[in-house]
Amino acid sequence: MKHTSLLRIALRFWIAMASVFSFLVGWVMLAHSPKPVANSASAVAPQAVLVGAAPTLAPLPSLDLSSNSNSGGVQVPQLSIQQPSGLPGQAPVFTTGGS
Amino acid sequence: MQTLELVAMNTSVLLAAEGQNGVASGLEAAQAFIEQSERRFSRFLPQSEVSCLNQSAGEWRIVSQELMEMLVLSLGYYHETGGLFDPSILPALKRAGYDRSMNEIRHHGASAFREAPQSARADFRQIETDTEGQRVRLPPSMEIDLGGIAKGWIVEKAATLLEGYSTACAVSAGGDIVFRGSPRDSWGWRVNIEDPLDPSRVVWGLQLGPCAVATSSVAKRSWQQGGRVRHHLIDPRTAEPVAADALSVTVVSPTMVAAEVYAKALLIGGERERPRLASRRPELVYFVVRSDGSLVGTPTGAEHVDDLHFTHPR
Repeated sequence: MKHTSLLRIALRFWIAMASVFSFLVGWVMLAHSPKPVANSASAVAPQAVLVGAAPTLAPLPSLDLSSNSNSGGVQVPQLSIQQPSGLPGQAPVFTTGGS
Repeated sequence: MQTLELVAMNTSVLLAAEGQNGVASGLEAAQAFIEQSERRFSRFLPQSEVSCLNQSAGEWRIVSQELMEMLVLSLGYYHETGGLFDPSILPALKRAGYDRSMNEIRHHGASAFREAPQSARADFRQIETDTEGQRVRLPPSMEIDLGGIAKGWIVEKAATLLEGYSTACAVSAGGDIVFRGSPRDSWGWRVNIEDPLDPSRVVWGLQLGPCAVATSSVAKRSWQQGGRVRHHLIDPRTAEPVAADALSVTVVSPTMVAAEVYAKALLIGGERERPRLASRRPELVYFVVRSDGSLVGTPTGAEHVDDLHFTHPR
């Protein structure tokens, strides 16, 4: 029993010492690491690579709901497709047999 | 693919085209061209340029550049086919009852048969052309019918016009068809050759690249005259509707006018003349439905037409 108790105390001591040591090592590493500088080129360049230039977007057209004649409900923008007749599709099959 | 259907030149016309922009405008322009050309070259309209030329036979007459082009082409094909293609058969066509449009014949019947006049018929070679002065003189009593070649010419020009608005297009007038380009969603253009005895049946199915197709048939444009069946294909050698050994001939050719002329000449010429005629134009491929219903084709000519494949369902 006495032997087990000594081992337990030694283990606790070792964990406490390892924790303190790790804390101190971390402190020293952070203290010696380079600090960020707001206007330096080396700091801006990686940021530019990651984010990229923001595209210039045209302003969105406003939804003018007041001009729509339908009363009530959601208004849907209308598309105008002009075709003489028929719908876009596959080529027709032609027939020849004299006329 | 956008399409436009209309009735012109006494037949149904189908225009088809695909492309980015302006296809609709192209279809409308092609339609306007076809309708305007019909008014100029129809022999059934008394004020058309062809009717005016016929009325002035024996005198020099100034003609349009387009009519001159057609007449010069006709003279060339007259010589090339040994006279089997002959636009001066109009008097014989009228005697056979085709002196009015097919619509009128269908509704009111054909006129009675008239004996041929004793005087010798003027030879088409006697037509005089002055290309510099753009003048033409038909021999006295000659009347010409540019029907077939004019239709082919109009279809070809309409396709060229439509091609300017599209990436691929087709123009068909009663089975005279010109294809330009290739449709985006398929390998080629599909054409069915119909059975002359049963138009609901297909005797050949073709898949074609850019080319032209025309069919001449004795089964179409036929009528009764004095108890006899008459049709519109006049044999210039007899001045009578041809007693053909075939019901129809379809020709695939690089150009529409050649297809139109040779479909007619190969049908009128019969089996005896066909090898001689075909040897003059090795680039042509033709398909014959004989009078007994059997089929004869020229697959050996297929190498001269780009992308020709055909199926033979019988």
